[in-house]
Amino acid sequence: MRSVYLVAYDISCPKRYRKIYPIMRGYGEALQYSVFRSELTDTELHSLKELLWPLLNHDEDRVMIVDLGPIEGRGDNCVEFWGDPIVTPHERSATII
Amino acid sequence: MIQGPDARASMSSSSSPTTSVSTLQTSDKIPDDALLPVRMLNEFTYCPRLGYLEWVQGEWAENLETRQGSFGHRVVDKADRKQVKPPAKVEPKQQANSPQPDEPDEQIHARSIMLSSDKEGLIAKLDLVELEGDVATPVDYKRGKVPDVPEGAYEPERVQLCAQGLVLRDNGYQCDEGVLYFIASKRRVVIPFDEELVTRTRQLVTDFRATADAGIIPPPLEDSPKCPRCSLVGICLPDETNLLQLEPLTDQDNSDPTRLPTRLPKSTDPPRRLLPAKNNALPLYISEQGAFIGKSAERLTIKLKKEQLASVRMLDVSQICLFGSVMLSAQAISELSRRGIPICHFSYGGWFHSITAGLIHKNIELRIQQYSAAQDDERSLKVAKQLIAGKIKNCRTLLRRHIHDKKSPVLTKLTDYHQRALRVTSKESLLGLEGMAAKEYFADFFQLFPNHPALAVNGRNRRPPRAPVNAVLSFLYSLLSKELTVVLQAVGFDPMLGVFHTPRYGRPSLALDLAEEFRPLLADSAALMVFNNGEVNADSFIQRAGAVAMTPAGRKSVIAAYERRMETEITHPIFGYKICYRRILEVQARLLARHLLGEIPEYPSFVTR
Repeated sequence: MRSVYLVAYDISCPKRYRKIYPIMRGYGEALQYSVFRSELTDTELHSLKELLWPLLNHDEDRVMIVDLGPIEGRGDNCVEFWGDPIVTPHERSATII
Repeated sequence: MIQGPDARASMSSSSSPTTSVSTLQTSDKIPDDALLPVRMLNEFTYCPRLGYLEWVQGEWAENLETRQGSFGHRVVDKADRKQVKPPAKVEPKQQANSPQPDEPDEQIHARSIMLSSDKEGLIAKLDLVELEGDVATPVDYKRGKVPDVPEGAYEPERVQLCAQGLVLRDNGYQCDEGVLYFIASKRRVVIPFDEELVTRTRQLVTDFRATADAGIIPPPLEDSPKCPRCSLVGICLPDETNLLQLEPLTDQDNSDPTRLPTRLPKSTDPPRRLLPAKNNALPLYISEQGAFIGKSAERLTIKLKKEQLASVRMLDVSQICLFGSVMLSAQAISELSRRGIPICHFSYGGWFHSITAGLIHKNIELRIQQYSAAQDDERSLKVAKQLIAGKIKNCRTLLRRHIHDKKSPVLTKLTDYHQRALRVTSKESLLGLEGMAAKEYFADFFQLFPNHPALAVNGRNRRPPRAPVNAVLSFLYSLLSKELTVVLQAVGFDPMLGVFHTPRYGRPSLALDLAEEFRPLLADSAALMVFNNGEVNADSFIQRAGAVAMTPAGRKSVIAAYERRMETEITHPIFGYKICYRRILEVQARLLARHLLGEIPEYPSFVTR
């Protein structure tokens, strides 16, 4: 089952940032610059780490991953938004276009 | 205890202790592809069934453990480019030409080395070999922590390491011990290759080879704590297979002499739910004409005339269904097939005609059994009976839930047809029964729809459907056969060759076979849902000279209802755990495979109460 993770990062070099940003988009939705909300299983979280690991400069960059808990529960309602909120989908359903 | 080259020579020259060892040694020239990877030997030692599934049937699945394992190996997975000379004794001629190194005892670390041994019949990829002269020490990386056992490590790991040692010895190295490096503990554990471990390793190699050659899959473990963390648990279905081996599911078939002998019950516990109730990824449907699907890093973007309609994570996509003219970039196709996400193509009108997928499944054993069952009237009738009987039962259940008159004669008739379907002796009479049952069923089924003049219903008709309900039903059946084609292909079947439907060009017969029992449960009930909830109305259809088609909006509502139905969680009637319909389709396909491969005496049809 998926949990909600808050992933934030500081990348000190724009070249690396441009590589990391599209990967982050593949694993979550940007809430703010460099702050993502990601719904992932533990295997998916591991894939994200695997992808990020070789791209980071481990002396200069920083990544923070916070486990907010299962989607149905704390994970979904522990983020408080002020100002213009970003609506994240609460229900999982097939995309029909 | 030191075992040098002498010990090895004595082993191979001594008269073999068991006959199977001798067969291994006489056939010195083992074909390259029959060499046993030591990695597989580890799996076989852990669970013989796992070894068989991975090595013989080519099954593979990933979970957190396997991912962590490969990530932990990133340092040792890259072969270094420096030269590693073979031991001096093996190739003296070659060595004579090259200058002898002055420091023979220099320690060399070589990563990711592939070696094989014809004598042992093994091939190994060694994570790391530490060489000091002719003494070699294999180092194997393990993701976890050092286990708290007297031997320093569990048997599968020790056997795997010892097998690597045996391969090194056969290549002329002196190898008396190996090292297991536990990544999580950052600790090395030295494993001496004593007589006992070597004998055990060789025995397991022999056993594994014999099991593979015999082509009989080892039974699942009984209620084992190993199962929940095994990545292949959803393929193996250990508890479910054990339960179905115990007793026949239907009491009508007790006299069947062809039934396999069942094993004595060992545990009466209900099966654990070892696979997640729901899938994380869901289908993506695109019916917007002229839309373009592109890949942007880890996402799919759907655009229409350069305007973005949607962007979805590839993690969330299980399959893609395209209706009519929708375009896909080559990069998207390539990435989707690499990830094992099939692309299903439908015509604008909803006719399912093709599928784009990655390479064909490796499990050839299953396909051989499927083809032979399709050739064998008795075997295919046995499965077809269950499918049709299941369908009739599910039809009856659907009617009983919805009609007011619970004593309606149609219910009695359907019960009768269900009983007779289980007793038929020929495919023709089964086909006849199915037809009669369908006629009875549809006569009452169409009464359940709202009596609206624009939705006038006059029984089942198709090609082309001549009433709204028929248009919806045809479309839903098309979606269902798409779903089962995808499932069957993923499980390793050939969806085109069935046991009940006659094969016809381009028709997924096996998918249609399996669809029978699910039609009332998934398609018919979804049709009832869209009409009775008012999700479609007269505006959702276009009449075209007697034929009825759906508007794009109407079709989207039907797809949404179908998807809701697929995601519905129900209690499994046999296994007793909660599971969603989409998973049930997969479990049924796997159970059909278990039946065709001779593991369970009977295909259990899926019927709800």
